[in-house]
Amino acid sequence: MILLQVRLPPGATLSDALEALGLTEEEVDTGYGLVSVLPEAGLHVLRVTEEAGRRVGGQVFSDPPIEPG
Amino acid sequence: MRVLIQLRPAADVVASVLDPGVASTVADVVADLPADLPGVLIDEAYGPVAVPRARPSAAHGGPLSLSSRVEFSLSPEHASVLVRGEIPDSELPIRLARLQSAVREVAGVYADPRIRAAGPTCGGDGPAGDWQEVRRLLRASDLWEQGHDGEGVTVAVCDTGINAAHVRSVLGEEVRIDAERSWAPPGVRRTPGRYPVEHGTMCAFDALLPAPRATLLDIPILLSRQGDMSGLLSDAVAAYSHLRHVLNAMPEESRSLVVSNSWGLFSPEHDLPPGHPGNYSDNPAHPFNLIVGSLADAGADIVFAAGNCGRDCPDGRCGFRERPIVGANGHPDVLSVGGVNVRGERVGYSSQGPGRLAERKPDLCAYTHFAGSGAVGEADSGTSAACPVAAGVVAAVRTARPAARLSPEQLRTQLNRTADDRSTVGYDYDYGWGVIDPPAAVAALGRARGTRAA
Repeated sequence: MILLQVRLPPGATLSDALEALGLTEEEVDTGYGLVSVLPEAGLHVLRVTEEAGRRVGGQVFSDPPIEPG
Repeated sequence: MRVLIQLRPAADVVASVLDPGVASTVADVVADLPADLPGVLIDEAYGPVAVPRARPSAAHGGPLSLSSRVEFSLSPEHASVLVRGEIPDSELPIRLARLQSAVREVAGVYADPRIRAAGPTCGGDGPAGDWQEVRRLLRASDLWEQGHDGEGVTVAVCDTGINAAHVRSVLGEEVRIDAERSWAPPGVRRTPGRYPVEHGTMCAFDALLPAPRATLLDIPILLSRQGDMSGLLSDAVAAYSHLRHVLNAMPEESRSLVVSNSWGLFSPEHDLPPGHPGNYSDNPAHPFNLIVGSLADAGADIVFAAGNCGRDCPDGRCGFRERPIVGANGHPDVLSVGGVNVRGERVGYSSQGPGRLAERKPDLCAYTHFAGSGAVGEADSGTSAACPVAAGVVAAVRTARPAARLSPEQLRTQLNRTADDRSTVGYDYDYGWGVIDPPAAVAALGRARGTRAA
C-alpha cells in the first residue's frame, strides 16, 4: 500500500473520501481510515493500493517501514 | 601491580642492550646486578629497552622542565634500561621502598597500566557509567531544586510501548502515564503502560532521568504490523494527527508537549528515490514531514534520534551510504540528537551530518550507552537512548515555560547555543553544537527573561 494525499472539505469522513475519489473499500485500508495532516489546508491521507493510487491520480507518497534506532 | 623498573647496570650491559646486533635478554641485565630484585616477578619475555638520559641544555635548566631545552644521550654511560615485572599488591609499599633503597642500580619504579586502543564506543561494547551518573552529568538535582522537574509537561514516547512497572522498579520513583491521552495504531491493543519490556520502556526510563515528574503518553507506533513489516511511516502520521488533537485540547496558555522519537528509516529500499515527488527521505512535502512541521508550529517540542549510522561503526541495517540523517530525523523544526558516552565522547555509531532536510543536523548530543533501564540489555544505547534523555531535558526546561511563552524554536535555539562545544570550535557534523547542558540553558533563559523585564 501507499499513502494517498487528498484535499477534502473540513469534517470529511472516510466515506466522503471514497465517494469523492471513486474508490472501493477493498482498495483502501479502512482500519487506518482518513487521517488529517493539515486541517487548515484540508489535507488528508489514506492508505490505498498502488493501483488505486495510480488510478485516482492524486499525490502519492512512499510509506516505508520504520524501526527503532 | 604491574611495574616498569628503570635500571642503571654497567655500561657494557647497556651497550649490549643498545646494540641491535645483540639479542639481550632480561636475564642478562638482571644477572649483572650485584643484588637481587626482591619480591619482583620479572617478565622474562619482555626485551629490555634502553632509555636515553635527559639533560637540560642550559646549566641552570631543570631536567623535567617543559620550558627549557633538553638534550638526550643514549651513550652506554648515560642511558638506562627498562625491564618489567609484577609486585603483589599487598607488598607494594614495602617492596618499592626496599627496591629503591637496597638496590643501587634501581633508578625508578613506575606503574605499567593497561592501555587500550583508542577508539569510539561501538554497539557491542559494554556500558560506560550508569543512569545515576547521567543524572549527575545533567546536574538534574540542581534543575529540580529550581523547579525544573517536568511537572505539568507531557512527554509522548513514540516507540514500542511502555512497561511502567519495569520503569518504576528500576528507577524507584513514581511513573505517571496518562492512559486517556495515549494512543495506539489500528490493530494494536491499547494497553498504555502495560506493553512488554522493550525499546519503548528504555525510552520512557531515559526521558524520566532529567524530568521525573513529567507525564508520559504511550504511543506504540512501532508495534503496528503490516504483513511482515513492523511499524510504517503512515502509523507515525496517524500518531501525530492524534498528538495535534492532544495539543489543541490543552489550554493555549499552558501548552507543553514534548514528542520523543527514537526511530527512523534505515534503508532507501522501501522509499521512493530522492527527486521522486513521493519520496520521504529528502522531501519536505511528504505528509509526515508536513505534519511534523505543523505540530511544531502548533507548539510541540519534537525530538528525534539522529540515527545509528555513524561512519566508525554503523548499525548493520544502515542502507544510506551518505547523509544518513534522513527525513524527519533531520527536519528543520526538530531537535536532532546524536549520542555521547558519559565521558562526553561521541559514540562511533552516532550518525553524522549534514542532514537531508536541513544541513546542520544533528543539533546536539546527549548521553547514551550507560547502564540504565535494563530493558534492552546491559546498556541503554544508541541515539535511541540519547533522544529521550534530550527530550527529558526539554521537558525539564519547559516546566513552567509553556509554548506560549517560549516557542519550540526558541527553546531549541537556547539548547543549541548553550551546549558544551566539542571537537572543532562552533558547529560540527559529529557533535552538532555540542553536548546538551541543561543548567546552562536554564541560566540563559533566566537571563533572557531578565533582559526582557528590564
